[in-house]
Order: sequence, then C-alpha cells, then structure tokens
Amino acid sequence: MSSELEREIGHDEFDPVGTLGLITIYFLILVVLWIFMYFVEFAGGDLTVVGVVV
Amino acid sequence: MNIHTYEKFWLGASMVLIVGFILTITYGSVGLGIAMVDDSEPTINPENVGDHPDFGDPGVEQVGENEYVVHVVAVQFAYFPGEIEVPADSTVTFKLTSEDVIHSFSVVGTNANTMIIPGEIASVTVEADEPGEYGIVCSEYCGSGHHDMEGKLTVVPQDEFELEGDE
Ligand SMILES: [Cu+2]
Repeated sequence: MSSELEREIGHDEFDPVGTLGLITIYFLILVVLWIFMYFVEFAGGDLTVVGVVV
Repeated sequence: MNIHTYEKFWLGASMVLIVGFILTITYGSVGLGIAMVDDSEPTINPENVGDHPDFGDPGVEQVGENEYVVHVVAVQFAYFPGEIEVPADSTVTFKLTSEDVIHSFSVVGTNANTMIIPGEIASVTVEADEPGEYGIVCSEYCGSGHHDMEGKLTVVPQDEFELEGDE
C-alpha cells in the first residue's frame, strides 16, 4: 500500500450511505418481525395465560 | 467524543427498539392481562395426592357464573381426567399437579403451556371464548410412555355444556 495520502476527508465527510441503507432495512425488518411475533403470533393466539399483575 | 452521525442514528434506533420491546411487554401484561405461570399456589405432598380435597376428585368444577376450575393430576403416562370439557365464553383455571415425575400440560397450538412438578401446583387461567377442540400433550420427557401421554380439551357451546354428575 502506498503511504501517500490520496484524499483527506473530515470525520463527518465519511459517508457510507450503503451501510446506512442496510442498517435501516435491518431495523425495519426487526420492527416488523417483533410486531408480527408479539401481536399476531402470540397475542393473537387462543388460550393465553391471563391473570392479575401483582 | 466524536461519534459519526450514522452511528448516532443506529444508537438512537436501538434505544427506540429496546424501549419499544419493554412497552409492548408492559402493554401485554397491563392491557391484555397476559400473565406468567408463577409459584403462588401452595405445595402438595405428591405421595398422597389422592387424599387432597381437590386433587382427590379431579375434574371440572364451577366456581362462578362463568368461571370454572379444572383440577388435573398428571401421572406416567396420562392425565386425570384425560378429557376435559368446558363451556365457551368462560374463564377456566387449570390446577395441575403430578404424582411422580415432571410432566407438562401443553394445549397444542395455544399459549397455554406449563410444567407440572411433583409437590407443586401449577395454576393456569385462560379465557375460553370460542368452541373448539384442542389436544393436550406432555412436552417434558417423562419416561418410556411419554409419547402416549395426551389429553383432550373441548370447549363446547354454552348451551351444550353440562357439568359431570348434573342431569
Ligand atoms: Cu408426561
């Protein structure tokens, strides 16, 4: 590797939009899966154990 | 500290996710009334379950207008009673205990599922809304006949329901 600096950018000039896009998609998948798992698969199921919260 | 904007976004998003998880669980327990099976029931001597006032004569019992208690004894490799019938639109509490080893009471395809531990009484309360038929299986390996250990829960329409012994 050459040690010659080709271009110097500042901290916030580093702009990995691809990574941002990926983690955004990942985040949305997590949210959708959680809602599906909890409200549809679990809470939407029959015969759920109920009781009074002490 | 110098944190990149995107990293801040991800940190914020994961906090939102965690808070969201906690909020949904809180909503489930406070709003929907979903509960956990706990150890609030008294203990029982597994040696003479038959002498117990409730478990000595297990089965369905009416305790309120639309409230029923079902005592079930689990042994290797059956439930007593094996066939349970309760009316629709009722609140049913299963009280479960074992005479020998650890079993489970798992109403297949539903969220009603608990371990049955000898010496302990497990209490599971569910709302039986719609008529239907459910299988009950033991999902704790309990011995050579484990695969045969099953029961049946039938939720019948209210006008078809009759308590055992009532004519
Ligand atoms: Cu068993």
